[in-house]
Parts: sequence; C-alpha cells; structure tokens
Amino acid sequence: MSNRFVDAGLSAPVNLTWEVTLACNLRCRHCLSSSGRPAVGELDTAEALQAVEQLHGAGVFQVNFGGGEPFLRPDFEEILSACHDRGLVTCISTNGTLLDQARVRRLSRSRLVAIQVSLDGARRETCDAIRGEGTFAEALHALRLLASSPIPTSINTVLTGPNAAEIPDLHRLAGSLGVSLRVSRFRPSGRGAVDWEALRPTASQLLAFSAWLSTEAGVRTGDSFFSLTSQERQGLGLNLCGAAKLTCCLGPRGDLYPCAFLQRREFRAGSLRRRSFAEIWRESPVFESFRSLRIHSCESCQRFDQCHGGCPAVAYHLGRGVGGGDPECLMECVTTLGGPAPRPAVQEPTP
Amino acid sequence: MAPAPATARRSASPRSGEAEERCYRLAPGCQVRAERFGLLFYDLSGPRLLFAETGDLLPASLLRAGGSPGQALRGRTAAERRRTAQLLDLLVRKGFLHEQPVR
Repeated sequence: MSNRFVDAGLSAPVNLTWEVTLACNLRCRHCLSSSGRPAVGELDTAEALQAVEQLHGAGVFQVNFGGGEPFLRPDFEEILSACHDRGLVTCISTNGTLLDQARVRRLSRSRLVAIQVSLDGARRETCDAIRGEGTFAEALHALRLLASSPIPTSINTVLTGPNAAEIPDLHRLAGSLGVSLRVSRFRPSGRGAVDWEALRPTASQLLAFSAWLSTEAGVRTGDSFFSLTSQERQGLGLNLCGAAKLTCCLGPRGDLYPCAFLQRREFRAGSLRRRSFAEIWRESPVFESFRSLRIHSCESCQRFDQCHGGCPAVAYHLGRGVGGGDPECLMECVTTLGGPAPRPAVQEPTP
Repeated sequence: MAPAPATARRSASPRSGEAEERCYRLAPGCQVRAERFGLLFYDLSGPRLLFAETGDLLPASLLRAGGSPGQALRGRTAAERRRTAQLLDLLVRKGFLHEQPVR
C-alpha cells in the first residue's frame, strides 16, 4: 500500500537531512559524500541560523545533521541550540571522535536531541578496516559517554560485505551498552562508489540480513531498505522512497536535493541563498519530478506494494536512472543470486 | 488549585458534548501541523507519525496552545461535532493528545 496523504503532497518535509559540512577527520571507505575537506562556500553561521528559521517556519519537525563530521563546525552547537529553541527535534550522525564529557553534558540539556555514532563492525579489525585505525575504540568511548547520559543514542552501521556477519553481534553490543542499533544501507555514492565492489553486501548477505531483521523488531533501518521494511512501516504506508515527499537534503552550501545520496548538479532543487525553503519545496521541478516518479519496470512485481521500486539513488548510481528500479531489491537478489553484479556509473564530480 | 491531572486514556468514546467540555493539548514530545487532509502529528519518541484526516474541523493552533474545541466547533453540524469527538478520542488513545476537564 502507499500513503495517499503523502502521495497528495505535504506542505513541508517531516524531516530533513542537513549535511552541515564536508569537513571530516576520518576518511571512511564508504562515505556517501567523500568527506574530508570542507566544501568551498559552506553556509556561514548567519546563513545557517537563517536556514534554521526557515525550516521551522515551514513546519519541518526534525532535522538530521550529518556531513562530514558536524562537530568540526565551530558553530555547530549554536546551530543546534537555534533548532532546539524553536522546538525542532534534531538527530546528529557523528563518528564520535569529538565527543567528550563536557560536550555530552551540554547536549544533554536539550531533550530534543538524539545521537547516532557510526560503528561499522562488532570487531575492531572490521570497523577499523572501513573507517580507519582507532575508530572502533573511539566510537565505543563515545557510546559509553552517551549511554550514561539521557540522550537517546544508537549505533549506526552501514551494512557492507565485510561486516554483514557481525550485525547480530553489533546488536548484542548495542544492547550491552544500553543503546539501540540502526542499520543503514550502503549505496554507491561518494567514496562508496569507488569501493562498491569491495564493500557491497552480496545477494546472499542481503537475504540473510532480511531474514534476521524480520526477527528483530527493535532494530531500525531508518532509511530505504525498501524490501526489508518491517510490518509496522508497511502498515503506515511509508515503505516508499521519501525523497521530496517526506524528506529532503540540505547540502553544506545551502543547496537542496531530494536526498543525501543525490547531491549532484542535475538533482539540485534550488539554493537557500536565492530562494526560500518553502518556495523551493513547493515549486522545484526537481522535487516535483520525484513526487511523480513511478518505477514502471517494477509495477508488475508481486512485491511492488512493499517497496514501490526501491531506492532511486541506488538505481541512479548503478546506471539505471532514478526510474530504473532498485538493482538490489530482494526479488532480484533471489533471481540473480550468483549472477553478475551491477557496477556504479561513471561519477561526475560533486558540484 | 492544581490543575487536574491529564488523562492519557479513556474507556469509551466521548459524545460530542463531552469532548467540547474538555481541554486538549499536545502530549509532551508531540508536534502538529496543518495539511490539506487535516493534521499531521509527529511524536519524537519513536519517532511516530499520524495522518489525521480532520479536514478543517480542528485547528492545529488550538492543540498547540491547548484548549477546548467548543469555540472552534460553533456552527458545526451534529455529525461534524460527533466526528470531531471521535477524532479527539482517537488522538488521546494514540498518545498524541492529553485531555482534562475544563472545569
């Protein structure tokens, strides 16, 4: 089923992903935005605070901060405070390396923040091979700090081939720390495209994860594991791509995109430096094209009602175009198990 | 006098007159905004969403500020008042609203 209210168009996104900076002190192999150095022309503090005001004015409920490493922005806590002062709920995706007791204490003062710490393996060797030497220990340290605070905390793991077998152990680790587990999908975007073949889960790993996930109601996927959504999400009719319907992405320079994985020139919906958020949300032809996007090649599939064609970003990055159908859908996993894997299309530089 | 404690649940749907004698306000952690279909509720615990097909029966501002729907329902038909009472009851049962008697 789909959600007819969402299909009819919402006045604003429910949540928005804001990549506040491309600056990062790590160089994770699967990074969707190839983060490292800050982007040229990132929003300054005044512009960022203005953006917060616009998001609040539009009626956005929640802002999910990512990057890059958000805490590398010296004004990040100021931006957070501006959100919380207006009642905007925030979620921060961080590598955890810049969290200390004092910062956690400051963040704890707001009841409107949740934090996800990235951890890509239950074993140090697995995580460090993906995220860099020492990251496993640093993330665990951050998780322990957060677990002793009132901040809702989760481990965020990108499902890859090397860590697929460790997901149940990660779930146990999360439980032992008193935090939850969220598993995200690996997409061939940014550095993830370069290492796609080395890191992508195999069809059998995806199927095994799907089977495991169906027995673990407490594990969140949070994004488009469209073929893997729980009955609860399906019941709400939200088992669809939410890009430009329920969510969108604000890039570090103030540009809006349908989602964080489609931050490319052709998907740029507009700039907050030129137009208001509400105008862009309402009138952008890019957003409109996503709202009317239909994955016709999938419509005859028996699982169409469960996934609506999957993730347009994965389809795009693997050369099918956004309307081409998700190459990693479970039905294809079943039918192509052992067959040739799709490869990422040639990447244009991120604008 | 301390305000009466908010009740999160009711045993049976209220009649429209009863609903209009109660105060409703958003539960902690919940937000609401107007949409074409009515009201969209968001609860940060979860987070959860609820699409409430309230049409123009209930202004979001009333629930944000907290208050009785009596004023907003003035001039409405009996069927609309009954529908509003049912919606409010549902929203209380789902945990998005708290209610308390006006008096």
